[in-house]
Amino acid sequence: MIEITNLSKSFGPLNVLKSIDLKIKEQEVVVLIGASGSGKSTLLRCLNFLEVAENGEISIDSEKVISQKTNLNKVREKVGMVFQHFNLFPHKTVLENIIEAPIFVRGENKEEAREKARILLKKVGLQDKAHFYPDQLSGGQKQRVAIARALAMEPKVMLFDEPTSALDPELVGEVLQVMKELAREGMTMVIVTHEMGFAREVADRVVMLADGNIIEEGHPEDIFTNPKHERTQRFLNQLL
Amino acid sequence: MDFLHNIIGILNEHGIAFLKATWITISITGVSLFFGTIIGIVFAGFKISSIKFLNRISDIYVGIIRGTPLIVQIMFLYYGIASIVTLDSFTAGALALGIHTGAYISEIFRGAVQSIDRGQMEAARSLGMSYSLSMRRIIFPQAFKRSIPPLANQFIISLKDSSLVAYISVIDLYNTALSVQGENYMPFETYFVVGLYYLVIVLIFTWFTNRLEKKMDVSKPKEVRIA
Repeated sequence: MIEITNLSKSFGPLNVLKSIDLKIKEQEVVVLIGASGSGKSTLLRCLNFLEVAENGEISIDSEKVISQKTNLNKVREKVGMVFQHFNLFPHKTVLENIIEAPIFVRGENKEEAREKARILLKKVGLQDKAHFYPDQLSGGQKQRVAIARALAMEPKVMLFDEPTSALDPELVGEVLQVMKELAREGMTMVIVTHEMGFAREVADRVVMLADGNIIEEGHPEDIFTNPKHERTQRFLNQLL
Repeated sequence: MDFLHNIIGILNEHGIAFLKATWITISITGVSLFFGTIIGIVFAGFKISSIKFLNRISDIYVGIIRGTPLIVQIMFLYYGIASIVTLDSFTAGALALGIHTGAYISEIFRGAVQSIDRGQMEAARSLGMSYSLSMRRIIFPQAFKRSIPPLANQFIISLKDSSLVAYISVIDLYNTALSVQGENYMPFETYFVVGLYYLVIVLIFTWFTNRLEKKMDVSKPKEVRIA
């Protein structure tokens, strides 16, 4: 589904990603872990071309993306993204947030888009909030709307950039629940998170980054119970 | 008592003239704000654009206008340019005021657009929306709402600044006050009256913009009072 080869990215003199290689299969759930500054968020943002890598190749859905030549808007339609700070459109209702891109990007008709939005809202448990504005929702509700908004474009892959980091602890569960449901339905997902319990339960593979390199990857059980790399051990110990 | 008497006398005698002048003040301000807003949108766009040349043009325009007095700009347009094209005083005044406020309005719009959280553009782009679609559907509506209070402020400043067109003999409120005062030698009462006219216009305008602001503020929950 996603194939990353030799990807590197710098911000000025800072080398954030150094030659990353990663393959993500269809229906796979991959969790990226690592200390802050390890490059995990940047890697995720590169997959959506919100950051453009200087070197390397990214193929999505067996189509090679060359940022100069490929229509990035078309690629982004296939890749849903959920942000740490939700980034809902505050001037639009929940329903309008969800139908915006389907109508204006995919050219769906309004009725069809609304119908689909209602189904998605039901899926994330917010069918009664369709006409609320984002400011009237809790953080957990906002994030669930953001997930529904991304799903409305019927993406092939969903990217989650620390989706629960900005939430009050008691609201984390409802968002993770929705993500588990998605994983069970077979959505391909790449997730940056510090929720290790969730990673252990849902991930097919855990990828550990440090200083812009992938230093270890494997099945969550192996990584969490028997980390090989010394830095992974240290990182996991700090979290416990 | 004398004071009140004099005021009523001025209103009796010059009420019609002040009313006509009010219309001139409002219309010259209105025309200048119309052009100023268009100029403001264009130059804000130049400034936000990724084309360096357009940034530069916007910088130069804003720099010159903000760096020189309005009265000089008015005089320049009316007398200075008279050798090339002759503009009647109203047109020259409206044009000068429009070009002047345009610079400030462009800064208001630019600031409003740039104040919108980066995440909004990222979210829009991540949904497959193009840059221009994201601007049009996501950024501009939020920026416009945010620019209403400073815009209202700028409109009020423009209304009061329009009094300077008296110096190119537009018969506006201030010019009327000048000539009335020259007749009756009652500067205290006369300027008091003309001040009142400006004040009432500004208060009415403020009332309207406050209502507009409340109306636009749909996304916020109803006002919460903290005791």
